[in-house]
Amino acid sequence: MHKTVMIVEDNELNMKLFHDLLEAHGYQTVGTRNGIEALDLARKHRPDLILMDIQLPEVSGLEVTKWLKDDAELKSIPVVAVTAFAMKGDEERIREGGCEAYLSKPISVGKFIETIRHFLGSAEGEPP
Amino acid sequence: MGNLNIFAPVRDYIDALVHPTARHDALAAARHRAFIAPRLLGSFAALAAVPVYLTMRGIPSAMEMVIVAWLVAPILVAYFLSRTGHYEGAHMLSSFALTGLVTAVAVTTGGLASFAAIWLVIVPLEAALSASRRVVAMAALFALGATALLLGLGIAHILPETIAIDGQKLAALGIVSAALYATGVALGGEALARTSFWLRYAEDDGYQSLAQHMTDVITRHGPHGAVLSVSPAAESLFHARVHDLMGHGLFDRVHVADRPAYLKALADASVDGTDKAVEFRVRCGTANNTRPGEVGFVWIEMRCRPIDAATAAEAGSREVVAVLRDISERKAQDDLLAEARMQSERASEAKSRFVATMSHELRTPLNVIIGFSEMLTNEKAMMLDEARREEYAQLINESGHHLLAIVNGILDMSKIDAGSFEITREPFAPAKVIAGSCELMALKASQAGIAMEQRIADGFPDIVADKRAVHQIMLNLLSNAIKFTERGGRIAVKVTREGNWAVLEVQDTGVGIAAADLPRIGDAFFQAKASYDRHHEGTGLGLSIVKGLVDLHGGDLDIRSRLGKGTRVIVRLPINGERGRTPEPARSIAPAANPEPVSADYQVKKIA
Repeated sequence: MHKTVMIVEDNELNMKLFHDLLEAHGYQTVGTRNGIEALDLARKHRPDLILMDIQLPEVSGLEVTKWLKDDAELKSIPVVAVTAFAMKGDEERIREGGCEAYLSKPISVGKFIETIRHFLGSAEGEPP
Repeated sequence: MGNLNIFAPVRDYIDALVHPTARHDALAAARHRAFIAPRLLGSFAALAAVPVYLTMRGIPSAMEMVIVAWLVAPILVAYFLSRTGHYEGAHMLSSFALTGLVTAVAVTTGGLASFAAIWLVIVPLEAALSASRRVVAMAALFALGATALLLGLGIAHILPETIAIDGQKLAALGIVSAALYATGVALGGEALARTSFWLRYAEDDGYQSLAQHMTDVITRHGPHGAVLSVSPAAESLFHARVHDLMGHGLFDRVHVADRPAYLKALADASVDGTDKAVEFRVRCGTANNTRPGEVGFVWIEMRCRPIDAATAAEAGSREVVAVLRDISERKAQDDLLAEARMQSERASEAKSRFVATMSHELRTPLNVIIGFSEMLTNEKAMMLDEARREEYAQLINESGHHLLAIVNGILDMSKIDAGSFEITREPFAPAKVIAGSCELMALKASQAGIAMEQRIADGFPDIVADKRAVHQIMLNLLSNAIKFTERGGRIAVKVTREGNWAVLEVQDTGVGIAAADLPRIGDAFFQAKASYDRHHEGTGLGLSIVKGLVDLHGGDLDIRSRLGKGTRVIVRLPINGERGRTPEPARSIAPAANPEPVSADYQVKKIA
C-alpha cells in the first residue's frame, strides 16, 4: 500500500514541485492551498505525513498545525514545515508550534526525500 | 553728623576706624560711625578747652583733675569699638563713663541739686541710639543708680564742700549743655533712621529691579498653595495680569493633568520643609482673549522652598517661595528628540520587516528553480520523460523571470526610498505617453481576453513631469489591472483635468480588493490574497512603486475598490510640476462617500 502525503502549499509552482517529487518517489499525494480545508482533507484521507507551508492565506500554517495537534485523531500524523521563513529564530518558533520537522526553502531535493523517508520509510510501506 | 559730609578727610579717618565686621553692612557701619565721630570730636574739643579753662581758673582742684581725666573716656570707648566691633558693649561703656562723669561733677557741686544732675537724663537717651533694649536698660540702671547714690550722699551729709560759683548761671549752663547734647543725640538718631530708611529703600529697589527684569517669576505661597505675591515678570510669561494670578488664580491656570503634581510640590515644601522641583503646564493669556481653539500652554519648571526652613519645627503652615521658569523650549526639544527616536525605531523595525519579507519572497521562486533543476539533473533516477523535462525547464525560466522582476522592483523601491530616484521634470503631452503604455500592454490584455479602452480629452495641455515615471506608473497600473481581471473583463483608461491637476484613472472589472486590505495596498510586498480563488503572480511591489513615483511628483494616489466588482485607481499629478499643492494634504483611509462609477464601498488615499 502506498503511503500518502498531504501538501498544504499556496504557491502553485511549489505545490507542483513537491507533488512531482513525491510522486517520482512513489508516494501518493493530496494537496490544498488553503489551511482551513487542510483539516477536512486530513480527516478524509488520513495521510501518513503532512507537508505544511507556514505563510498561507487566511490562517497560518502554524495555526493549522495547532488544530491538527489538538485533534485526538489527527495528532499522531507528523507535520513537516516547508517554508520560506528562514530567518534567525524561525526554526525554533516553528518547532515550538508543534511541527515534527523543519525544512527551509529553497529545499535540497536529497534532504527533502531523506526527511520524508525518515518519517515514512520507503514508499512501499516498509517500517521506518 | 552733617560735618561728616563736609570734612571729607575726617570722614575718611572715621570710616577707617569702623571695625571690619561692621563694614559689609551699611547700616551697622553708619551706626559705628555715628558712635565714634561725636565721641572723638566732643572729647578732643573738650580737651582743647582745658588749657583755656586752666588759664581762667588757675590751679585746678583734685576733683577738677579727675573730671578732665574723665574726658578721655569717650576716646577710649571709641577706640574700644574700633578695635573690637562690640557695639552694645561700647554703648554700655559709654553710658557708664557718662554716668561716672556726671556723678563726679554732681558730687562736687551739691549732689542732686547740682546743675550737672540733669545730665543723668541724657544717659538712657543716648543709649537709645544703640537700638538695643539691653543697652537702654543698662543705661537706665546706671542713671538711676547714680541718682540713688547722690540722694544717699545728700541725706548722709557727706557731700564734699561745694565749689562756690553762681548757682543760677550754673543751673542754666547745665540745662543748656544737656539740651544741646540731647539735641545732638536726637539728630544722631534721626540721621540713623534716615540712613536705615534709604538703605532699605535701595535694597528693595534693587530686588524690585531684579524681579522686574528677570525672566523667571518669583512667587510666594501661603498655606494650601494660595499665591500671596508674584513678581511682575509673570505678566510677560503668562500674558496675564499679576492681580489675576493671586490666590488660586495661578492654580486655575495650571493644566488639569498637572495640578496634583503642582499642589504636591507646594505641600511637600510647606509641610516637609524640603526643596521641591516640579514641571507643569500653565495656560497663557486671559479667559477673554483666548478662544477654545487657541489655548496656549507654557511648560514651567517650579522650584519651591519653604521660607525660613531653619524653624522647621513648627511644621504645617509654612509659606513657600518659588521660582518659575519657562522651559517650553526644552520641552519642545525633548518632544522632538522622542519623536526622532520613535521614527528611527519605526524605520529600523520597517527595515527588519522588509528584509524578512524580501528573504521570504526571494526564497519562494528560488525553491522552484532549485527544486526542478535538481530533478532535471537526476532525470534518469526520476524517470523524467521529454515532456516533463520541457515543462520543468519552462517553470524554471518563469520563476527566473519572476525573480528578476522582484530584484528590479526592490532596486526601484530602494532608490525611491533612499531619495536617489531622480525624476526629471519636462513638459510633454500625456496623451502620447499614456497611449504608448496602453499599446505596450495591449497584447497581454488581448491574450488574457480583456478589452482595453482609453479616453483622453483632445487638446489636453502639456504636463510638467518625468516622462519615464508616468510611463512606469501606467505600465504598473495596467499590469495589475490585467493580472487581477478575469477573461472577458474590461479595463478603461481615462485622463481628465481637475484645475491644476492631471487625473489618470485605470479602472477594471477585476476581483477587487477587500476593505480590510485596502489600507495596506501600496505597501511593499503586500499582495492581498485572502479569499481570492485564483493565484496571482507578482511581488506586490508594482503599486508601491507607483505610490513612490506619485509621491516624488507631489501628487496623490487614490484607490477605490469593492471585492468582486473591480478596482479604480486614480493618480493625480500637478500639471505645472510643482510639488506640495496637494488638494487634501493628508493620508486618509475612509469609506468612499460617492463611489461612482464602480460601486466601490471603500477607498484608500495615499498622498505625498
